[in-house]
Amino acid sequence: MKLFLKPSLALLFAASVFMASSCSNDEDPAPTNEEELITTLQLTMVPQGGGTTVTATYRDLDGDGGQAPAVTGAQLAANKTYAVTVQVLDESKTPAEDITEEVEEEGDEHQFFYVVSSGLNLSVAYNDTDSNNRPVGIHTRITTTTASAGNLQVVLKHQPNLKSATSTINTGETDAEVTFPVTIQ
Amino acid sequence: MLLLLCVRLAMADTFAQNGPVPVLSDAPSNEDCGITLSGKVTDHEDRSPLIGATVVLEGTPHTSITDANGHYHFHDLCPGTYRLVVSYIGYTPERLAKLVRSPEVINFRLHPDALQLHSVEIKVARQREQLTQATSQLSGQDLRQTHGQSLAQSLERITGITTIQTGPSIAKPVIHGMHSNRVLVMNNGVRHEAQQWGSEHAPEIDPFVASELTVVKGAAGVRYGADAIGGVILVQPKPLRDSAGTSAELNLVGVSHNRQGAVSGMAESNPAGIPSLSWRLQGTLRKAGNSKTPDYYLANTGYQEQNFSAAAGWTREKYGVDAYFSRFDTKVGVFSASHVGNLTDIRNALQRERPEPEADFTYAIGVPYQNVTHDLLRLHGFYRTGPASRLLFTYARQYNQREEFDAHGDQSRPGLRFEITTHSSEALWEHPLIWNLKGSIGATYQYQFNRYEGRFFVPFFQSHTGGLFWIEHWEKGKWHVEAGLRYDYRYLQAKLYRKDTPQRTGQSALDNELLTPTHRFQNLSGTLGAIYHFGPHLDLSLNASTAWRSPTTSELYSNGIHHGTGTYEYGNAALGVERAYNFMATLAYVQNKRLNGEISVYHNYLDNYIYQEPDTVPTLTIRGAFLTARQKQTNATFSGVDVSASYQLADRLLFATKASLVRAYNRTANEYLIWIPSDRYENSLRYSVDRLGAQGVFAQNFISVSGLAVPRQRHIPDHYLARDYAMPPVGYFLLNAEAGTTLHFGQQQIEVGLIGRNLLNTAYRDYLNRFRYYADEIGRSITLRVSIPLNF
Repeated sequence: MKLFLKPSLALLFAASVFMASSCSNDEDPAPTNEEELITTLQLTMVPQGGGTTVTATYRDLDGDGGQAPAVTGAQLAANKTYAVTVQVLDESKTPAEDITEEVEEEGDEHQFFYVVSSGLNLSVAYNDTDSNNRPVGIHTRITTTTASAGNLQVVLKHQPNLKSATSTINTGETDAEVTFPVTIQ
Repeated sequence: MLLLLCVRLAMADTFAQNGPVPVLSDAPSNEDCGITLSGKVTDHEDRSPLIGATVVLEGTPHTSITDANGHYHFHDLCPGTYRLVVSYIGYTPERLAKLVRSPEVINFRLHPDALQLHSVEIKVARQREQLTQATSQLSGQDLRQTHGQSLAQSLERITGITTIQTGPSIAKPVIHGMHSNRVLVMNNGVRHEAQQWGSEHAPEIDPFVASELTVVKGAAGVRYGADAIGGVILVQPKPLRDSAGTSAELNLVGVSHNRQGAVSGMAESNPAGIPSLSWRLQGTLRKAGNSKTPDYYLANTGYQEQNFSAAAGWTREKYGVDAYFSRFDTKVGVFSASHVGNLTDIRNALQRERPEPEADFTYAIGVPYQNVTHDLLRLHGFYRTGPASRLLFTYARQYNQREEFDAHGDQSRPGLRFEITTHSSEALWEHPLIWNLKGSIGATYQYQFNRYEGRFFVPFFQSHTGGLFWIEHWEKGKWHVEAGLRYDYRYLQAKLYRKDTPQRTGQSALDNELLTPTHRFQNLSGTLGAIYHFGPHLDLSLNASTAWRSPTTSELYSNGIHHGTGTYEYGNAALGVERAYNFMATLAYVQNKRLNGEISVYHNYLDNYIYQEPDTVPTLTIRGAFLTARQKQTNATFSGVDVSASYQLADRLLFATKASLVRAYNRTANEYLIWIPSDRYENSLRYSVDRLGAQGVFAQNFISVSGLAVPRQRHIPDHYLARDYAMPPVGYFLLNAEAGTTLHFGQQQIEVGLIGRNLLNTAYRDYLNRFRYYADEIGRSITLRVSIPLNF
């Protein structure tokens, strides 16, 4: 009896091993693209009263990690006002997806903040509002004064149920945070 | 030293009570005279201890139930002749008349009852393999008092066990400073397989299923398989009913801090007409809202659970088969304030007095949240090849699905979904007793397949793992020796696109290439240990074990931002095997009238210990800077001590103390390891009265008060703030209290328990809570639980 049983247990075990390994799955991962990937943040600055349009770009096509992002700063003229539009794009898709539209739609829970480093002689004023009459910051005005150099930081915050008269750059979650070198000549 | 002193004191106590002039009489008197009568009850065939055997002194009210080592004891006996009756289900009772004049040790070896072979299987199920490693159990009233808590939180009652938490709703057990991939959870004899790599992935097991929780502290890789470096948690459901009849149990729990309500029911039967058949059905519903700290609610920390299990078995004299299915299904809110972006967001959160956004109480769960289901199907059978020898076979299939819904993007589908399927089988032969050797030989095989949808974090993979093991126990006289050896082989194949690895180029043609790296790991595990019984009251256990684990797929290939911790985590495909050498000594002084205690010291050497090392250079992304962490290997030691002791101050008043300390050191970098639990000290006073009220309507009454002190963790690595966002939080003290009673209405019993946690409403933060940057721990909380057994 024993002689028969031990092999039968071995057989049972072998059968289960065979069954389990025949369940082997050869499925490959779907090459899906990440949802809502922001690769690019671009500032388009149109000088009031004529002159060349200036663009500043932060571009990280392969997303987080991997290759380092490419950053193009801005050279602005002294004592001038620029009408500025910010765009956030997903350029990993073809054609590129403009995520700015989504930010605009959900304007009551998003806000762009502009932080000017000390020594850089420019000021940023909001030029748009959301449904609650609070600034969104997609459209702004930049006014420069004397020649100087420094950084302009652009921060997009997601502030669901948090955006209010008292909400600040420290409220909510960061969707984008980039820094451009800027010189005023 | 202190312990030695305690032992001497207690021994002096025993001698002092051995009165000078014993009065001999045939009828035992009722006076307290101070003689101790004790001994061990074992199986005659295989010498294993019989746990839960009844020893009665006939004609007196004295009864003793044998403990986990088979020991019974009677204290305060007067000199005289006693008639001992030892009985245990499935065995022939033994009787012995003995004239007792001084402390005596009387051992019994019971013979299996030939007429009751049906029950023999039950007897085997109740025997616990005595391990030379430190083990602790939680069962009965102690376990029921934890109802309303998660599995990991329940285990905190055991010395040496802490938890790593991610907010109030997610907790994982930590054994001697180790967790996640280093702690195995055996659910009903099956290795629990899920996404256990994540500290925010709690074990998917309904705590109401367990009738006993056992923790094996230390490397237990031989029996349970590679990976059990820190220890093993055994979740054991009640064995299926073995006597004819139908019964049920209803458990109700209410918890104040999150207004949790839980109801769990169980029904089981062994039909009188079909004695071979037994079945059981069990289910749990649980719902909790936002948790409250002393000063505010924590937004989106509610959770809900719907779990059920079904079991059926067919048991004959020679063989038995059973099937078990369980489903665990939960939806857990992830604390809103923890859903932060980059490093700046975390620093902002640290500056805040209160988490943002402010919240009120609600049961509603919003984004982000997790949806997790875990199915387990287990088929098990045995065939008896002799009175103490069996063949066993187990097959199990587990399916775990974890969906993580993000606060961003399309909220109708998960941002990330993992599905992992595991098939495992085990064949085991328990050989008959030869030359005092009792042991088993087994083979295991496991196949696993993991897939995901959505955001990349851990790749597709499949793995085959095979193992062979052999364990022997040798028992003679005062010695019990245990030795075991195991070999495991693991094959792992991952599938991922180059764009999901650190080698991505940014060019879609190259990045969309599918890579299929493979890994092969093989190694040995071993254990050698001994227990020396100095007598029925004092045992010394020594154990040396070695275990290993292969790096997990997440350690090899994770690549992305770990939300909630603001860390960009890089795997390391070059990682090799991690090996542990574990040395442990446990001295147990048990079954004494006043002083009892256990001390356990351990020292673990870990070679090629896999850990996450923060990089000084943050990862820059379009969302700002993130802390960078890379998987590395180093040599480490984990050493520590667990002490528990109790002293019967008076008839009804018990003082108990517990302490656990662990030190983890990076031997290569010559500094402490990060995220190791603080020391813990707990003292309690318990007052118990067996019967109260008319005809003892209230039975097993008790009230206890305890204080838990956890000092600040000071044993931390250098340059601490380059690796963590904040220093370890200050220490804290918590006052807890419990009370319980069992009401008897005729035949009907109702057990009621009241548990108060953090009664002083202390605002504190725990070092091992991943959300300590954002919010305080839970404030005062009262739990009321009711347990109603029903017999039909």
